[in-house]
Amino acid sequence: MSTAQTVRRADRPGSRPAGRPGTGATRRGIALMLPAAILMAVLTVVPVIAVLDRALSDTEAFGRLFDAPNFGRVMLNTLVWTLVSVAGALLIGYAAALLLRSPFLRLTGVWRGLFMIPWIIPGVVGATVWRWSLSSDYGLVNHWLVQSGLIEQPIAWLSNPDVVLYAVALIQIWTTAPFVMLMVSAALTGIPAERYEAARLDGASGWQTFAYIVLPAIRSTTWIAVLTLVTWALNSFTIIWVMTSGGPAGASTILPIQLYQAFQRGDQSMVSAIAVLQLAICAVFVAIYARAMRSDLEELS
Amino acid sequence: MTRSMFRRPLFAVLTWVALAVVLVWTLWPIVLMIFTSFKPGNEIFAIPPTLTPKHWTLDNYTSVFTESSMPHALVNSIVVGLLVAAATLIFCFSAGYALARFKFKGARSVALFILVGQLVPLTVLLLPLYQMVNKLQLLDTTIGLAFVHLTITVPLVTWMIRNQIAAIPISLEEAAEIDGGSRFDAVSYVTLPIAAPGLAAAGMFAFLQSWHEFLFASVFATSESARTAPVALTEFATEYHVDWGSTMAASVVLTVPVVIVFIALQRYLIGGLTSGAVKG
Repeated sequence: MSTAQTVRRADRPGSRPAGRPGTGATRRGIALMLPAAILMAVLTVVPVIAVLDRALSDTEAFGRLFDAPNFGRVMLNTLVWTLVSVAGALLIGYAAALLLRSPFLRLTGVWRGLFMIPWIIPGVVGATVWRWSLSSDYGLVNHWLVQSGLIEQPIAWLSNPDVVLYAVALIQIWTTAPFVMLMVSAALTGIPAERYEAARLDGASGWQTFAYIVLPAIRSTTWIAVLTLVTWALNSFTIIWVMTSGGPAGASTILPIQLYQAFQRGDQSMVSAIAVLQLAICAVFVAIYARAMRSDLEELS
Repeated sequence: MTRSMFRRPLFAVLTWVALAVVLVWTLWPIVLMIFTSFKPGNEIFAIPPTLTPKHWTLDNYTSVFTESSMPHALVNSIVVGLLVAAATLIFCFSAGYALARFKFKGARSVALFILVGQLVPLTVLLLPLYQMVNKLQLLDTTIGLAFVHLTITVPLVTWMIRNQIAAIPISLEEAAEIDGGSRFDAVSYVTLPIAAPGLAAAGMFAFLQSWHEFLFASVFATSESARTAPVALTEFATEYHVDWGSTMAASVVLTVPVVIVFIALQRYLIGGLTSGAVKG
């Protein structure tokens, strides 16, 4: 169920004929929506304007931000973190969704419920437990990998600067893949059986069925899932903060972490500068998101 | 032996192998968390590490509930969660009802505005909201934290409730009006009772979002009087030493209610969750 479908209003039971502007219906509708709209304005619009105002009236922070020796590193970290975690979550989410469609599987509902667990538990808990399991000396991950002969030496997952970003991205994948699975599952369920039947009668192979029937049907879902995952990755804070606090030596610092550290130092102009940068990156994706939603709307109506 | 005879069992085996792989990947940290929480201290730092405890003990749970700030933090989490759920339902029922029942100019813009609101990164809001809550003198209070948590809950729950109401035929309300009641009576005697289970689920969803939230909780409620459970969980770690036994026991305590609620409300929650919740 995508939000796009929720916006659509035509042909639903229970929508009243449009009230003409100025009629009681319009006034009532606006009056009822006003509290939530004002609340969201106070909680999001006003703060965003405040941040923009602050950052643009005091631009020296941008200079400090861009000239900082670690700036390139943070941007690269943010990019790598986003790409790795989004690609991984898509891969595993898709695989799990397709797996749950397998005709050989019993108890599909139970497995789906179990697959959901990483996503529904608190992020702090997931990050904490993984931190424990990835520990160099007492961690079971290293122990088992060494035992099975896959690695010679225990890997310092969270303290080796070359490895840490991929290690935390793995946890982001673990947390978000179930969301992809749900979205794709819902889209797959929506494909009418006749289409498969028709493909079978036309003698399509398994791959052809996948490429010409399954893929087109889940394209828009995938699109929305990717955008959601990118937004999550770009704004992710809890997992990295709990596992590494951005360390060692900034090796797992992405923009939100850098902002939080500036906030802790009390460097308000730096916080605002990073926030504006985050907003700019986010705005691009929100624009894409809104367009995807709109084309989705047109597709539906 | 034809190919199709050969293919079926092979695929069946492959399916179950794949299922096993995904299950291990998904569940093993959870299993580790549960087993570690029942281990005595000397086994937790045993080398080589083992998955299951040799001697089961409740010591970690006893120390979480008697020697740590966790009980107080759990109470704070429940208080904040209930405040968030109540406020969210009030705001969102009103907005959701309007979106479902009235068509008017600008409705769609307001709807999109509420929806896009959830795409603003929480870190961007951190400093200005901090200054706002500070001005209101609500820093380090459960009310202040609940207030900023509405940023996360209101957009999504508005949509959840809107869909629930749209699914209730309007003819029921109209019938109540024809019988001489006002629109308000129609809503309170007809729509609300039908929507009640869905509203309860939406409220529970808001509660859970608040229960999970860490970023705002770590900034807006730092002192012990208002600190919530996710932040208290990170307190078991000091710079040089982590009390992993207590940490795992506390993690289990934090997770169990979530899983129970999820199993009970799975049907209601999945629709809301897949509509693009932004988790920090």
